[in-house]
Amino acid sequence: MKLITMVARIDEEKCTGCQTCVKVCPTLAIKMNGRKAKVDVEKCRGCGNCNQRCPSYAVTMEKLDKPYKVFVRIDDLPYEKIEGLCKKAKLNPEQIICYCTATRAEEAAAAILKGAVSPEEVSLLTGIRTGCKVECIQPVLRLLEANGVKPKRPEGGFQWYGRTPTAWEIPEEVKEKYNHRGFYFNEDIKLLDAVREAGKEGK
Amino acid sequence: MNRAVITPQKPRVSQYGVDPKYITKRVSEYPEMTSIVLKDLFPDTPEVIYPGEKGVPAVREAAEKALEKVDMSMIKPGDSVNVCASHHGFTLLGGEPYAELLRAVRDVIVRKTGTENVRLRAGVGLRFRETEEYMKSFKLDEYYKGKVKGVAPVDEGIPIETEIGTLYGIKAVYDADWIVHVHNSDVREVHFHRQVDRAVKPFGMSYARIETRSTYHQNLGPRAANFVARSIFASEFVQKKFAFAAFLDMSPSGVVGVDADNDLYALNDRVTVGGCKNYGKIMTLLGEIDECIAALDFPCPVPYVFAAGVIYANFTGANMDLFDLDVPLPPYTWYTEAFYGKNGPLVKDVPPVNPAIKMAVHNYAWGGYPSAFFSEHIPTVVVGREQAEVMNRDPQNIEYMSCSVVADSLDAAMKFAYHTAKTDKVIIFDGAAGGINVSESLAKLLKEKAPQVNKLVDEELLPKWLRQRGVDPAIIQKS
Ligand code: SF4
Ligand code: SF4
Repeated sequence: MKLITMVARIDEEKCTGCQTCVKVCPTLAIKMNGRKAKVDVEKCRGCGNCNQRCPSYAVTMEKLDKPYKVFVRIDDLPYEKIEGLCKKAKLNPEQIICYCTATRAEEAAAAILKGAVSPEEVSLLTGIRTGCKVECIQPVLRLLEANGVKPKRPEGGFQWYGRTPTAWEIPEEVKEKYNHRGFYFNEDIKLLDAVREAGKEGK
Repeated sequence: MNRAVITPQKPRVSQYGVDPKYITKRVSEYPEMTSIVLKDLFPDTPEVIYPGEKGVPAVREAAEKALEKVDMSMIKPGDSVNVCASHHGFTLLGGEPYAELLRAVRDVIVRKTGTENVRLRAGVGLRFRETEEYMKSFKLDEYYKGKVKGVAPVDEGIPIETEIGTLYGIKAVYDADWIVHVHNSDVREVHFHRQVDRAVKPFGMSYARIETRSTYHQNLGPRAANFVARSIFASEFVQKKFAFAAFLDMSPSGVVGVDADNDLYALNDRVTVGGCKNYGKIMTLLGEIDECIAALDFPCPVPYVFAAGVIYANFTGANMDLFDLDVPLPPYTWYTEAFYGKNGPLVKDVPPVNPAIKMAVHNYAWGGYPSAFFSEHIPTVVVGREQAEVMNRDPQNIEYMSCSVVADSLDAAMKFAYHTAKTDKVIIFDGAAGGINVSESLAKLLKEKAPQVNKLVDEELLPKWLRQRGVDPAIIQKS
């Protein structure tokens, strides 16, 4: 869930049409209108990516008069389905997967079970990836993959490139080679497994 | 007689914090505040070259000496060289020492190799314009003849094949014939990297795309995470381009020197020893604090504000030994944060946030890093509506103020803190160099506890920490 308090505004005078903002927007809220970028305010989640990367400083973030929340309900789906998807992605449904918005795996899973087929759609619906914009792409890709979805990368965009390895996929020979250097691979897998298996009451 | 306070770091103009005009009073100005010099706590604290009599030229001198020994023969005239830097270096001691190292590195490369095509690529944390601000304020854009770029993790990427699979770097970091890694040995977020391969970390962070950074924070585990950085550094792609590394060698009391090497792993071992020994002592000592008010008063996001060379986020975990790898999970990392369910911790291994911190007074700290965890776990009072507004406008901190209260002035905030926390012990995270600003009551406690901590680290903890990291404790004698 995210409280949306800001919206991006583009100064057409300053915009040079470089399309950087289009390439980094996590919800695909920016399109080119001729040689100028244009924000679809309904889709903007106020993350500031465009504002922080525009080489011409053409984007400002403005406070919304009426902030609003975006979230996906989880109570209209059978919880076993949500839980099943999270566990397949090796996540506990209650664990937080986006620190800025405190979004839990169960909400992203619900978005996917309700039809989201890309990280961009999950972001639009839940607000995930619109805080720091950096840290939560992997759990989203893991959940999509666990649901049998192969998302399509936005063409020419830098929104994301691909899923990367998890603790469970580290080759045994790599573990053996580096264990003694302080990388506690197996011990960490044990901890991550315990979190995944933990029930609602933390048991 | 009690020592006078050490001058705190000045507020800085930045889009991530309030205008310095709002910082009208610093916590160190209260009469009950004093300071302790680290050398008085730990007699074996290494001598520093900065701050010192010679000023920043001491850093230049050390850099030139260290770089003289480095082989740069692989770089030919006309070759392109990317000098890779990270924003954290600029938060150390006002930033000038790191800026000077970056200038010296450029000069020596040009002099020794004959190439003029030297570019600065400076990575960021979660504040994508921060290094641009630093490069401008230290005039590095002029020094590097306009060849500077702040690189962010959402910028165009490049896949890198590693021992554990494909990871992604930032394309602009690697778009040269050679790369030079310019960093520092400050322990910084030891709660995350656990002083495992500290020297290699920017390859998984400052120089990496969102996918890689997310792998570190979400896909591996609290102790295995930094393998992401090592696997990128060890990749054929990076090894072919890597020329050498130059580090600002830090201790909690300042810059000890400059270390440079063609072999990053050898440098890493030295960084491991220095980090465990010097920072290990002050962190263990801070873990002895039984109760206190933590005052945040430094131009950086909440977790990164400094005291005695270590950051607030480390203090929130000082109730545990952050260097001990047998401890699975520190009281604060994003893994820890993730493992709090709706009704509390999901597993029994989630340790509580340092219960000694009775209250945090946020006199001056920036947004730009998800910090709601801190205000949710530690009663927090923010000074001034302007600071509250900075947090409210920050997409990473929408909820920070939900759990904090606002005081109109620092005086009101401190009064509230003393009354509510019921302690007169205060520790100030204001970036004081060489020591630490604290209340007299806390100074007394720290002085009493220091000798036993000194002995414990030297005799028991340090050998254990080094063994856990595969570093031969004999290296201490050699260094
Ligand atoms: S990044 Fe800036 S200059 Fe480029 S298209 Fe977007 S608004 Fe225009
Ligand atoms: S969602 Fe973010 S990147 Fe997209 S338009 Fe809004 S502020 Fe800009």
